[in-house]
Amino acid sequence: MSKPTARPTAKKPRAKRPAAPPPPPPVVLTVSGLSKSFGQSRAVADVDLEVRKGSIFGFVGPNGAGKTTTLSMVTGLLRPDTGTVVVAGADVWRDPTTAKRSIGVLPDRMRLFDRLTGAQMLYYCGVLHGLDRETARSRTDDLAVALGLDGSLDRPVRDYSIGMVKKVSLAAALIHSPAVLVLDEPFESVDPVSTAQAVELLRRFAAAGGTVVLSSHNMNLVERVCDAVAVIVGGRILASGTLDEVRGAQSLEERFVELAGGRVAVEGLEWLTTFSD
Amino acid sequence: MVDHVLRLKLALLASAFRPGVALARTIGVLLLAGGVGTGVIWLSTQVDVSLETHRAALVIVATAVSIGIAVAPLSAGLGSALEPRRFAAFPIAPRELALALGIAAAIGLPAVLAALLGISLERAWAGEPSAVAAVAAAVLGAISIVIVSQYLVVVGDQLSVSTAARRTVTAIARTVIVVALASAVVTVAVVVVDSSDSATQQLVATAGVLANTPMGMLWAAPGSELAPMVARLVAGLVMVAVLALGWGVIVARLLESPQRTRADIARSSLGWFDLVPATPSGVIAARSLLYWTRDPRYRFVLLGLPLAPVIMMLAFAVAGAPLPPLWLLPLPVLALFLGWFSHNDVAYDHSAVWLHVAAPFRGSADRWGRAVPPLILGVPIILALSPLLALWSGVDDVLPALIGTSIGLLLTGLGVSSVSSAIGAYPAARPGAGPFDQPPSLEARAGWSQALSLLAIIAFMAPTLLLVWWGLSDAQWFTVAGIAGIATGVGMLVLGIAAGGRAFRRRAPELLDLMLRT
Repeated sequence: MSKPTARPTAKKPRAKRPAAPPPPPPVVLTVSGLSKSFGQSRAVADVDLEVRKGSIFGFVGPNGAGKTTTLSMVTGLLRPDTGTVVVAGADVWRDPTTAKRSIGVLPDRMRLFDRLTGAQMLYYCGVLHGLDRETARSRTDDLAVALGLDGSLDRPVRDYSIGMVKKVSLAAALIHSPAVLVLDEPFESVDPVSTAQAVELLRRFAAAGGTVVLSSHNMNLVERVCDAVAVIVGGRILASGTLDEVRGAQSLEERFVELAGGRVAVEGLEWLTTFSD
Repeated sequence: MVDHVLRLKLALLASAFRPGVALARTIGVLLLAGGVGTGVIWLSTQVDVSLETHRAALVIVATAVSIGIAVAPLSAGLGSALEPRRFAAFPIAPRELALALGIAAAIGLPAVLAALLGISLERAWAGEPSAVAAVAAAVLGAISIVIVSQYLVVVGDQLSVSTAARRTVTAIARTVIVVALASAVVTVAVVVVDSSDSATQQLVATAGVLANTPMGMLWAAPGSELAPMVARLVAGLVMVAVLALGWGVIVARLLESPQRTRADIARSSLGWFDLVPATPSGVIAARSLLYWTRDPRYRFVLLGLPLAPVIMMLAFAVAGAPLPPLWLLPLPVLALFLGWFSHNDVAYDHSAVWLHVAAPFRGSADRWGRAVPPLILGVPIILALSPLLALWSGVDDVLPALIGTSIGLLLTGLGVSSVSSAIGAYPAARPGAGPFDQPPSLEARAGWSQALSLLAIIAFMAPTLLLVWWGLSDAQWFTVAGIAGIATGVGMLVLGIAAGGRAFRRRAPELLDLMLRT
């Protein structure tokens, strides 16, 4: 639990010694000019993002801001109208096979093959990403222990709770040890213990050189876990950078509410204060 | 010691009759065994050993039935509670254990059947000069069946290192039993129906071969000349002695050697996934098979497919069409619909197809995997039923055409489906829906997709169908039609999967988008 505080403070001594700045880690995910319209409505407008290797990147925005649309286009699940996505040197939309080898995906609100058991599901994902039998099986066991899924792996996924489905999906995204993990709402409906377990797993993954992009509504969690943040509102990126750059002197939640349109004064709901008894 | 093991054996037998799910199974097994036993005894009263054909048939039937009985314990798939190694922890001398297990094996259904088989051999030869030889052969034969089945149980237990392996052993044993019983029935049928010289020669030749194998020599002994008869009986005696001594040695070895570690004790079985290669097409085939067997939406086809041809035949019969040649229709129709059914397979995945979209494998792997269930369902049905239906149709030499056309329709259908499920997908009933549930919205494209894929299959197969039509007036076209059908099928399947694979990869995001919108 010392890591999140260690990271921001580590930057202060760096700033004091401008003579020898360590080179920033390379960029592994570049999004440029990404746009998508559904009919008349512009869901995502000209989004640019850069994510550096080894970072945990938080993608936050209010409901309907275009988070899922953007992440779907980044992972090759939704074709953008314009713009490019480059992951580990490969263009997701020009060279999808190469790019998809380096991406692990946890999409929001998509089904799984839910008649498979958890173990079958993870094995399936592993082999689809080119793992051999032994590797797929041993990684299934490792991930089950790390995410607290052991004991549930022999049940069909359709019998899982929403939180369990999230956990098995996270395991499925991790099983081929991708360079970049893209997680859409990974902690929604997941209990605090499992969240802590998963966060620990993601920290280890990032410390070893992996990169994580995750979207969330939970500002406390993002503030605790992520070292870089982008705020998207109405399909546009309003702020992007390291956690400190984005939040400034405020908490992330205050900054977010300010960016997302501020607190609207609640008016016209007088009936809500006159109780019927 | 011996009486302990016997009491254990009796308790095991009694447990099979306890009320519960197992009881139904027990009753089924008893009915089958009763049928076999009655059949064997009845045959012994009918057989006339003065006829060469009957003697030959007796050898074949007895050999087939004895193989079936010996394999039977393996087919239960339970392993044996009396497998020698289970007694390793007890202080029992190996010799004593071997004896006890051997005697225990003599109590039970296989031993009863073996005894019935022996008795029927004696009955068949009763009153003949070689009746004494028959008694000796029957006793040795029955004993050897019981010992061999003990060996097989031990071997089967050694092979069953994983759940998948155990299932495979059981499946092989059941297949052997079915084949053995079927060949016995066929032999009897041939003797009853066909008295031609060629049939007799076939039977005698087959029996002659069997008579010189360890499996058939005892059953052939009473019907042989004096010298070979003595030779066979002595060989049988030696065989039983060797088997019995070997049993003692094996039990001793098993008690000393450690159990083979079972790889899957800690790990659960992955079902179909353990049986397919660990490649994208392999696991997609396994997943597809699992859905075909578990998902009610697929079960609709499994129920509907056999019904459709039956209904069709009934309709024709009611309309007064000439019935016999119409027997040529059900199989091609079944093949056509089985191939065509997959034309919207991707939609059945609903949004779970994202797993395929997000993974870096070739589109053709996806197509091959989805083609596997209809193939392993359809091809055996076609091969097994076409001889029968060709026979009923009364059309001469039509068999190659029937097989070729049916396989061609199935494979062409799967090829066309590979393409259409990538480019012509339309909303289908959602996962979890029942077999008769309608999709949330049926668009016009659903109709187009269904009609065009069906038309495309028939169009590609039109040359073959034309050849079959010519064949009805000149039978030599039937062979050409058969070859043409299979060639068309294989070609269209390979082409369809290549084209469908490319289309699937190219259109994957749009397919996912379609699924998400419905």
